[in-house]
Amino acid sequence: MTNDRPVDGDVTYPSISELTGLSPEEIDARWRAFEWHLLPPTPLPPMMQTALDETLTLRVGRGEQPPTLRIWQWSGPCVVIGRFQSVKNEVNEDVLRENGFDLVRRISGGGAMFIQPNNAITYSIYAPEELVKGLSFPESYAFFDGWVIDALRELGVEARYQGLNDITSTGGKIGGAAQARRGGAVLHHTTMSYQIDSQLMTQILRIGKEKLSDKAVQSADKRVGPLRQQTELDRDVIIHHLIGHFRARFGLVDDALSNAELAEGEEAVRTKFGTPEWIYTLP
Amino acid sequence: MHGEYKLPGGKLVIVDFAVADDTLRDVVVSGDFFLYPEEALEPIRAALEGIPTTLSEADVAARVRDAIAPDVELIGATPEGIAIAVARALAA
Repeated sequence: MTNDRPVDGDVTYPSISELTGLSPEEIDARWRAFEWHLLPPTPLPPMMQTALDETLTLRVGRGEQPPTLRIWQWSGPCVVIGRFQSVKNEVNEDVLRENGFDLVRRISGGGAMFIQPNNAITYSIYAPEELVKGLSFPESYAFFDGWVIDALRELGVEARYQGLNDITSTGGKIGGAAQARRGGAVLHHTTMSYQIDSQLMTQILRIGKEKLSDKAVQSADKRVGPLRQQTELDRDVIIHHLIGHFRARFGLVDDALSNAELAEGEEAVRTKFGTPEWIYTLP
Repeated sequence: MHGEYKLPGGKLVIVDFAVADDTLRDVVVSGDFFLYPEEALEPIRAALEGIPTTLSEADVAARVRDAIAPDVELIGATPEGIAIAVARALAA
């Protein structure tokens, strides 16, 4: 699987192995060198989700939390902008508020995510930097999401990794990844689209002509290829399969968010993620 | 003034600024690129603050490049791309 060179029309794309510069055996060995814990979906507000990402990354860096895979359950709709995005360039804030969406800024770079809870599949991986030691940033992106590509292909979705951080397929872009590093640990998180309300998305997100300039598409909503368009499977079934694939291949110990972690997350919302200074740091 | 540039195969970089006395003021550099460490954005922004509007694109790129320390990684955007965004903002 990791050696597959995905084909789309008359173009053949590099395999995950080629994108990382590692053999499939080396990739699996790196993952298996750690005991991975699973934090299963628990509904949490968007701001808490992004705060927890920083909290858990720091904890992994300090050795207080084992390397972890966390599957998110969004409790409400939101737009999550990247660390370096400017609010007014990315969202029509009045439309966003009118529709009851939260506006959240995450610690990792990358683009804006339009989230409606049961339309997205989001996960975070918190890993010691050692996992991707010696890999360039681009190689590390393909490394972190290679297992997802393989798991989706097992479900019959013609998924591939493309560019720096896109999970895409013959049917369009499925999702994207972003990464932040701090305290000797890496946060790598990815959101995939299960379904998408493209009309509302194009009202809330500002997607300019420049952003579409090097893609052979006519409009923003044709760039995306939500999973529901590519498989009959329910969102829960897909999530279950992703977890099962990771578990079978690398191992997973079932875990849960502790009260201390939740408290740290709430404090981070209060002092950082919920503050205008953070959200509008690039206005 | 507002200028955008997307590196083919890369990410969007946006520069916003006002012009006063033929220099760039209140510069904001933003976009969907990645940058490690995150603190490295401020030196990049500061490199554009106060530059003359008449500076060549190559010189703007050089100023940005000089503001990126050796251990900093800018991914999906380049100093040249940022200079193009500035040029587009000035031309608009």
